[in-house]
Amino acid sequence: MRKRLSVLVPGAGLLLIAAGTAVFAQFQSGSYGSTKTNSLAQTISPQLSQDGNFSVASFPSFATELAEGEGRAETQSFCAMCHSTRYITMQPPLPAPTWDAEVNKMIKTFGAPIPDAAAKKIISYLQDHYTPENRKH
Amino acid sequence: MEQRRQNVSRRDALKLLSAAGGLTIVKWSRSTFAEQLPVNQEIEPFTGPGPNPHWNSVGPYVGEPQKAPLIGLTDRPVQLETPRSYFRSVFTPNDAFYVRWHLPDIPNRVDLAEWGLKIEGNVNKPLTLSFSELTEKFKPVSVTAVNQCSGNSRSRFQPRVAGGQWGNGAMGNALWTGVRLRELLDAAGVKQGSVQVQFQGLETGPGPQGSGSNVFLKSLELSDSALDEAVVAYLMNGEPLPMLNGFPLRLVVPGYFATYWMKCLTWIRVLATPDENFWMKTAYRVPDTLRGNTTPEEMKAGGVKTIAISRMPVRSFLISPDGSSKIPAGMNVTLRGIAFSGYGKIVKVEVSEDGTKTWREARLGEDHGAYSFRTWEAQWTPKIPRSYTLAVRATDEKGKVQPDEPVWNPGGYLWNKIEKQEIVVGKVSGGESR
Repeated sequence: MRKRLSVLVPGAGLLLIAAGTAVFAQFQSGSYGSTKTNSLAQTISPQLSQDGNFSVASFPSFATELAEGEGRAETQSFCAMCHSTRYITMQPPLPAPTWDAEVNKMIKTFGAPIPDAAAKKIISYLQDHYTPENRKH
Repeated sequence: MEQRRQNVSRRDALKLLSAAGGLTIVKWSRSTFAEQLPVNQEIEPFTGPGPNPHWNSVGPYVGEPQKAPLIGLTDRPVQLETPRSYFRSVFTPNDAFYVRWHLPDIPNRVDLAEWGLKIEGNVNKPLTLSFSELTEKFKPVSVTAVNQCSGNSRSRFQPRVAGGQWGNGAMGNALWTGVRLRELLDAAGVKQGSVQVQFQGLETGPGPQGSGSNVFLKSLELSDSALDEAVVAYLMNGEPLPMLNGFPLRLVVPGYFATYWMKCLTWIRVLATPDENFWMKTAYRVPDTLRGNTTPEEMKAGGVKTIAISRMPVRSFLISPDGSSKIPAGMNVTLRGIAFSGYGKIVKVEVSEDGTKTWREARLGEDHGAYSFRTWEAQWTPKIPRSYTLAVRATDEKGKVQPDEPVWNPGGYLWNKIEKQEIVVGKVSGGESR
């Protein structure tokens, strides 16, 4: 059996507070968490001359973090002759034979001047850190 | 009102009593809620070996000259992807237009007082045309056309393939203004027996001469009807091209993948023999099969016949809602998106609310020409709070319909599977959802 209570005039005030609380319970007021600042600075327009030169600022390059390990130095210096090592980290984890084929494509098809010993090191480095079995970051 | 007030139960009365201490509750709640808020989580640094589940690729936002913050795939050579929200407009803004270069040495500067377009090779009268000759001596023509990277959506491939791991944003639509390619070829006079026309821009690399890493070159058959529609463009959406999109001049081949749209076009070379350079003979080739499909096993076995990539298969996208926010149950929302085909006009776009089981037709937006994005919209009022799988598919004037089956080839080209988007509908008071 539920007991009925009659709410009288003082109850009206309580009701108002209750309504306010109920409304509050339905949203969350602004709350600020701590996160990393992912900022990208604005740039200003360059000084423009009236001659025939149409130029833009240099294209930025970004530091790419390659996994620590044997062969990292060779990978950094030889691969970056033609492209940033972001080309490596952008890839999905690739099977070991694919990395072998990629490095060989750079040498045979694109003519990258990588000595045999360095090429071997680069291939094993990529196979040690960038396959589905071992890729961490 | 009177009735209700008398029916307040004891439990309700207790709630009311505790509410009297309202302020304490408010304070307490605030800190509790703050802990419950989800963290704005950073996207993962790479995807795979499964398909990339995001609409765009996972790179960070980067700032490049003349560009809004775009998604950076690589910095050298530069590859930038257009974020999904920019496709809400039928013309992609120049500063948001995606960027893809093949070789590291690209111009930061072009001297238009010196620069000239050369038309040479197997012609009667080799020409060098200055920028002002191009804009003043030839009749300007304009065409709206989609420029899409051959490898757009490569990150969907299963198994994954090496290459630029694009999401869906390696595409854009612009109004291109310039001179008809055929008019320029006629001015130089193509000699009898010529077979192809080769295009070269200012993009080079440190690789040995004759290799693909030294210079980027693309060619088209002189008999190809695509050449009749091709334009050598000096304006993009009515403005000079951004340096990263090929200032001062870009070849526009409506309907064809962007690999042929040579940036910083400086040499047009008529050839008497077919082009055998790396970028024609080895790269940008697709299996000569239905949809360019093959399998890793067939590739391994060898003997898969390939052809140079050409026209873009029909595609369509849902742009908004994008699934990042909930939709209140019972609310009407407008589904909006784009569709295009390299084979001509879009004639139909259909949407599905049940993950491709049933379809209904969307309303097509303004027609900007056969090779433009075509916007579409459809009304949707989801009544029940739950997750919905929306899907969209387009049909072009050749009768080609987007399939729900994936594509696989080693280059990661020609993806045009039906796009799907999960949309969560949330409960609201008073509706069926209560």
